[in-house]
Amino acid sequence: MAQIITITSGKGGVGKSTTTANIATALAKLGKKVIAVDFDIGLRNLDMILGLENRIVYDVVDVMEGNCNLAQAVIKDKRTQNLHFLPASQTKDKNVLNKEKVEKFIEELKKDFDYILIDSPAGIESGFEHSIYLADRALVVTTPEISSVRDADRVIGIIDAKSKKAKEGEEVKKHIIINRIKPELVEKGEMLSIEDVLHILALPLIGVVPDDEDIVKSTNLGEPIALNEKSLVGEAFRRIANRITGKEAEFLDLKSKKGFFGKIKGLFK
Amino acid sequence: MSFFDIFKKKKSKDVARDRLMMMLAYERANTRIDSFEDMKKDLISVIRKYLNVKDVHIKSNSNQEIETLEVEIILEK
Repeated sequence: MAQIITITSGKGGVGKSTTTANIATALAKLGKKVIAVDFDIGLRNLDMILGLENRIVYDVVDVMEGNCNLAQAVIKDKRTQNLHFLPASQTKDKNVLNKEKVEKFIEELKKDFDYILIDSPAGIESGFEHSIYLADRALVVTTPEISSVRDADRVIGIIDAKSKKAKEGEEVKKHIIINRIKPELVEKGEMLSIEDVLHILALPLIGVVPDDEDIVKSTNLGEPIALNEKSLVGEAFRRIANRITGKEAEFLDLKSKKGFFGKIKGLFK
Repeated sequence: MSFFDIFKKKKSKDVARDRLMMMLAYERANTRIDSFEDMKKDLISVIRKYLNVKDVHIKSNSNQEIETLEVEIILEK
């Protein structure tokens, strides 16, 4: 049975698309048949992070409007087996979506894939509502900053109200992903810690992703960092993917990179 | 944390946390029920059947485990 996972955040720029791209990649690497769908109509982004921008012919709105069939629009990643992608429309107005079209579209995807990952647009307007409407679970991405946590809280508060599942009395699983955490700052008490964020948002954690320059590089190259076996950030995403499939995976031990001498020095700073 | 920090003021993350908790307590109360005013009117009309009500105050509280509504009914003297 296909699982529909919506990646959302409220605030923009916290790493939703990067998170979607990497979890999709990591799930595909686990042998699951995955499709990542960009629902940010008008502001296409996921294509470049996945490095698939040159292969786009049709988009998600084309499929919903019947301008093409699903198979014509779905892009199969050549690098990562099992990974598929559907881009957002760049030109069309975001108001073209409606519940019926979205539902028909998702139902069609469910026949073909194990995991359908929906990259939600920022904000809490109709685009967000469509992306959460059919979700089985929501991954709420937040950075440890007040504006991001505040918006995450807003989103969490309205997920159930916008979800078909919740309306039918079922539960939409909700988990937190803390992105771009800087262990050095947390240790100094200058950044909200994992515990702080979870205490405030009162939801279970599914992943912590450290802030890392490698992400910038991988975005530049269009190669999801989850493919990089040596990268700590890649490992963070791979573990999230494992947890999604129901496997236990320990959380990364994120300590600042200072060695023993750094710590001694820090003592007298 | 370095040794001398003990004598320093509150950490910035503690300030952030406190500010967030304050703000969210307020925002959550306001998003959960769209129309406190309508509920208030309904409550007053129901209670009026039995008592002389002057006003009703509704306050929402939430923490991690539970959410409560405090309803204070002020009676005519």
